[in-house]
Amino acid sequence: MFFHITLERNMQLHPRYFGPHLRDKLVSKLMKDVEGTCSGRHGFVVAITGVEDIGKGLIREGTGFVTFPVKYQCVVFRPFKGEILEAVVTMVNKMGFFAEAGPVQIFVSNHLIPDDMEFQSGDVPNYTTSDGSVKIQKDSEVRLKIIGTRVDATEIFCIGTIKDDFLGVTNDPGVAP
Amino acid sequence: MNRRGGDPSPSPAQTAVYNIDSWNRLVRLAARAFYDDITLKGDNAPKAGRGDNRGMAVVVLDALTRRQWVREEDLAKSLKLHSKQLRRTLRFFEEEKLVTRDHRKESAKGAKMFSAAVAATGEGQRTGKEGEEKVKLHTHSYCCLDYAQIYDVVRYRMHRMKKKLKDELDSRNTIQEYICPNCARRYSAFDALQLVSFTDEYFHCENCNGELVAESDKLAAEEMGEGDDNARRRRREKLKDMLQKMEEQLKPLVVQLGRVKDFSIPEFGSLQAWEARASASARANGDANANDPSKSSQGQGYGGTPMPFLGETKVEVALSGIEAKEENAESENKSAGLKVLPPWMVKQGMNLTKEQRGVVKHELNADQVSQSDEKKPKVEVEDEKSVQAR
Repeated sequence: MFFHITLERNMQLHPRYFGPHLRDKLVSKLMKDVEGTCSGRHGFVVAITGVEDIGKGLIREGTGFVTFPVKYQCVVFRPFKGEILEAVVTMVNKMGFFAEAGPVQIFVSNHLIPDDMEFQSGDVPNYTTSDGSVKIQKDSEVRLKIIGTRVDATEIFCIGTIKDDFLGVTNDPGVAP
Repeated sequence: MNRRGGDPSPSPAQTAVYNIDSWNRLVRLAARAFYDDITLKGDNAPKAGRGDNRGMAVVVLDALTRRQWVREEDLAKSLKLHSKQLRRTLRFFEEEKLVTRDHRKESAKGAKMFSAAVAATGEGQRTGKEGEEKVKLHTHSYCCLDYAQIYDVVRYRMHRMKKKLKDELDSRNTIQEYICPNCARRYSAFDALQLVSFTDEYFHCENCNGELVAESDKLAAEEMGEGDDNARRRRREKLKDMLQKMEEQLKPLVVQLGRVKDFSIPEFGSLQAWEARASASARANGDANANDPSKSSQGQGYGGTPMPFLGETKVEVALSGIEAKEENAESENKSAGLKVLPPWMVKQGMNLTKEQRGVVKHELNADQVSQSDEKKPKVEVEDEKSVQAR
């Protein structure tokens, strides 16, 4: 799920940027530092949408670096248990398949794949129904439900299932352009 | 999901299709199945010595099946409940989406209007004290069963119950565990990312690089974690048992749901619309008749819930239609060439035949009348008793 929240961060700035474009430099450094990172508490920071407030800088003794407390708004993405996501399959093996929904890695183990789909090894490993109408392979798009998340300080990993109503492949890479 | 139509006041001809008894049976069954042991504890629960009010929910729902829109005070009076207690129960049912409620400020005149409507339904529960009530713009609450929603709610509830059990049985939402047969190390699916090897398509142990096996595989389960497996088997059996019991015990409800599916849904409309219709029909019938409970309930004839907005003749139509249906629903379906359109599909200006509107024209013969008289439930007798008691 996506959230638009306000976060705070202490930014350290090298003294060489102290000049007319200090603020711009601070914001661009903030984006570079924060966007794409993951915190266990808030999830993945997708994008910074605005800077609310830059506090008074504090010069660090000895180094000359200045610390600014910066308040910024950002869009974060955090997967939840029970959430339905669309993801792209990245790897298929006998144990199941891995998929990605944006920055989140999801593993669907083979007992959470419908029973009528079987693993076919070969050049392009895939899971196929007995009549061959549905095929899950690399780059397939699947809709899955998250049944478990492991949230570390800097990493989120999910377990998904496609063994439920309305879940499964949403497109076929062989057919789609 | 909600099957209520946009038409707030279906004409009597359309409402005549539904079989109110079947719907009421559904409500009663649902009440006993799901709300039998609900206790509604208020803030002053410890104060009341007779704290256990289990089963009250069922009583209230039952009472509502015998009424349409009813003022909550009146309901409390006739159930001999404290109005606060009743309100708590009703609020609970409102949250459960079984009951619709309406609140409005009204003067004595407004209250009278409702009383007249109630009298028209021939309930006879009221003791005729309308004149004594001197209300100066009090807020009154009314409540009524919402059959359309009840149907959906009950079905949804059973679906969720079944799904939850089935999911557990199939261990659908459990996280797969993996075991290394060499060093007995356990991994969960969360570690999958670290375990994949790029040489083959199995997971490999971080410790000894052995191939991992999924725990549910027989071999692994036998070798290690035996006690765990036993516990799991017991749990599985328990779940299976529970599912079976549930299906057994809810069977009457399922059957009733299936039966009710083909009938159109009793729709009383909003309080205002209902009141207007009720008082209109009361005027048509003649008020003297309507106010006499025994007489008017004879006129209603069928079931515990009279229909105030149906004229006397209309009720007879409903009666014969119902009986035909009960005798053999199939033959009726065959004989009716055109399907009965449900009321929410019927719009003004549609060119429909009588069959489509669901009006079944049968001549009412003599023995049907006597039958219906015999069938008249004990409700009326109870009513008379309660009047005497006062």
